[in-house]
Amino acid sequence: MVTFILKRLGLALITLWLLSVIVFVLGQVLPSDPGRSVLGPLAAPSAVRALDHQLGVDKPLLTQYWHWITHFPGTSTQYQTPIGPILTTALGESLKLAVFAFVLVVPLGIIGGIVSALNFGKPIDRTISIVGQSALTVPEFVSGIVLILIFSIALGWLPVTATAPPGSGFFTQLKYLILPVIPLVLVLFGYIARMARAGTVEALESDYARTATLKGLPRGVMIRRHVLRNSLLPTITVIATQTGYLIGGLVVVEVLFRYNGIGMLTYNAANQHDIPMLEACVLTIGIVYMIVTLIADIGFSLLNPRIRLRAAE
Amino acid sequence: MDKPDIRKLDAIRVERTPLENHYIDELLAGRIDRRQFLRRGSTMGMSATLLGTILAACGSSSSSSSSAASSASTSGPAPKAGGTLSVAGVTPAAAVNPLTVSDAGGLLMLNQTGEFLVFDSNLKLMLQPMLALSWSHNGDGSVWTFKLRPGVKFSTGAPMTADDVVYTFQQLSDPKNASNALSTFTGVLTPSGVKKVDSTTVEFHLESPNGNFPYLVSSDNYNAIIVPNGTDFGKWQSTFVGTGAFKLGSYTQGHGATFVPNPNYWGTKPLLAGTSFQFFSSQTPMLLALQGKSVDVVAQFVPAGAAAILTQPSLYKIIKLPSANHRELSMRNDQAPFTDARVRQAVAYTLDRKGMVNALLSGDGTVANDTPFGPRFPSSNLSLPQREQDIAKAKQLLAAAGHSSGISAPLVTEVYEEIPQLATVIKENAALAGITFNLKIESQSLYYGKATYGNSDWLDATTSLVDYGDRGVPNVYLEAPLTSAGPWNAAHFKNKQYDGLVKQYVAALDLSTQKSIATKIEQLLLDETPIVIPYWIDGLTASTPQVGGLNPTSIAQLYLNAAYKS
Repeated sequence: MVTFILKRLGLALITLWLLSVIVFVLGQVLPSDPGRSVLGPLAAPSAVRALDHQLGVDKPLLTQYWHWITHFPGTSTQYQTPIGPILTTALGESLKLAVFAFVLVVPLGIIGGIVSALNFGKPIDRTISIVGQSALTVPEFVSGIVLILIFSIALGWLPVTATAPPGSGFFTQLKYLILPVIPLVLVLFGYIARMARAGTVEALESDYARTATLKGLPRGVMIRRHVLRNSLLPTITVIATQTGYLIGGLVVVEVLFRYNGIGMLTYNAANQHDIPMLEACVLTIGIVYMIVTLIADIGFSLLNPRIRLRAAE
Repeated sequence: MDKPDIRKLDAIRVERTPLENHYIDELLAGRIDRRQFLRRGSTMGMSATLLGTILAACGSSSSSSSSAASSASTSGPAPKAGGTLSVAGVTPAAAVNPLTVSDAGGLLMLNQTGEFLVFDSNLKLMLQPMLALSWSHNGDGSVWTFKLRPGVKFSTGAPMTADDVVYTFQQLSDPKNASNALSTFTGVLTPSGVKKVDSTTVEFHLESPNGNFPYLVSSDNYNAIIVPNGTDFGKWQSTFVGTGAFKLGSYTQGHGATFVPNPNYWGTKPLLAGTSFQFFSSQTPMLLALQGKSVDVVAQFVPAGAAAILTQPSLYKIIKLPSANHRELSMRNDQAPFTDARVRQAVAYTLDRKGMVNALLSGDGTVANDTPFGPRFPSSNLSLPQREQDIAKAKQLLAAAGHSSGISAPLVTEVYEEIPQLATVIKENAALAGITFNLKIESQSLYYGKATYGNSDWLDATTSLVDYGDRGVPNVYLEAPLTSAGPWNAAHFKNKQYDGLVKQYVAALDLSTQKSIATKIEQLLLDETPIVIPYWIDGLTASTPQVGGLNPTSIAQLYLNAAYKS
């Protein structure tokens, strides 16, 4: 197990380094330059040159890359302030939203999927599948605006924006996060439920499930011990792969609900040609993604002894 | 206007300069109206009190006040002291640095604590004293002298003197600095031209005469807030040091800011106990926040997508400001088929401008006539015939130019406010006369590129549709996009006669000269039609009915000195 984790960590480091090089190179291909982004399209060329020089972006690429590596996370060219504090705050906010969404959608999705599978072909199965799939196709900016119009403007129950006033308690913060979390739950529920349903149906039809039933195990015990363990494996993979989206891909929800997550920060950095900020954001999202997939792999091997044995060999 | 009190007027006129007397004559003859008189008089440095006295003697009344930013804009509930006003603004696109700010979010922050020598009031359409009490020129407009308001202190408690003003303008006009104000000062002012006369007097020695120079040191030039001598602009964001009615409470990058009354403020103390700004990265959530009562005020918005606010006057108070904010369609005068002026005119005649104002701006705008001279500028000659949609004439012009079977050209534009929809309407209108525009709608960074010739779709495309923000005087619109050496000449329009007329216009000191040159420029631009300007867009600010005393400008500043919440 330890070798397995070490191997994975080594690979993760190499992947992160490659990611940093790719982002850096792609950043150079983007049109416009940092000085122009800050000063606007109508600024005098001499002012743009002066700012580019001040920011050091007129130096050779290798020098810039080396400077970036040795000063990580460095200073934002756009905001002209250190990246560290901005990034940590944004990551904290994103994690809060992502964890809340996970806490709601994972149990809901799994239970929905299993109930569907156990009632295969019956009206309740159809209802869960159709509702889940329909919700999946509604874009977040549509469901988000509808939710705001109903719950904030017509009924006045929930705040329009997602950020609670500074110093708010846990429950106040939760109240502010309810509206932005619902579009995420809507998008993810159908996805997770479908995987859980497929896994459960497959496990129910398997030889070992039939054997367990034939040897006289009560249905409840059979499902708990034999079906769930196996049906959840693909679901865990799906949940892990959605982390990247939940941490870094929520630009639309963040804009709509005025939430300062890392998704918006990354989007702005790319738009403003703020390469140090973009690098820091992409790498942070990459690190979170890798940690989650590692946890998923470990969870996988705990649930499935065959994987555990293979890893030990 | 009532009957003038000639005796009183004569007593005033003895003291005035020939130019000032010229304006009084124009007013008496009815050639300029009250507003235009206030505007021109204030540019020449006549005080608000003096202007008021002259207007009274002429049988007209003036409601101008001497304190620039304290004028309450709208009638409403009775003013009440205390409370925190919550304002929705656009997220500043970069650091809030007075030298480099170039966006609406950033300039809104600058004006919360910063003040200018002169305030360009869009509500009153005139210049008002702010940190300068009065200003005058040497006769030909090449040297301008500003007398500073005595007793002004920065939020730190340090007094503001001529040294601070000299430092501010030397930094802003230094070509070695990353100064956004260089787009205004290049060719007009250099650091050595800014001179201290005494502790309350500053002189500006210009590179060439400029009749509208006070506008260039006014709130129109949003970078020009006065900062203390020796300020490190890169670190200004941590202090927001200024002379305004408020001082910084806190500033959180990308999130918001709070301000509290400045105990050292020279003017009337603000009514509010504080202000709180929330930053939004797009307009929809900003307007939703106003509807959901998360904010009291939306600092600035555009009509597109704002019907829910604009159509409910009982729920929301809207302040509309006449503005020179516009869109410009340039056609490459050096590329076929637009080398022929008749083809360019044909495009202009296909446009249904009134339809555009109604559909794209919900009526909050005015039709324009393809020249930078509009209702915002007193020198404009608005009597020239307004171009209307005339498809038969457009077809006739195309046929005369040898394109009876129609023409086809790419039209490149940016994703910004209502511009993509405008591009679609232009395409549909033009198609009626057989003109096919192939639209290419790009992100702003791609569209502007490096913003130099050869490196920018904006400046290189055969036809290009771009946005121009509001300005107090038309100088920038006349020079940069239309003169032979202009840096933003997307139409590649090169006309010696035009260049000469613009030079004369910029140097002209009196309104009748400006007007006569403006008429010539307008006629030349109508004949040549290098560009098409379909409409002028009003500046819009919204609030709940409980808010009063807001003082916005059409370039997205918002002064809250006299604001209150009842």
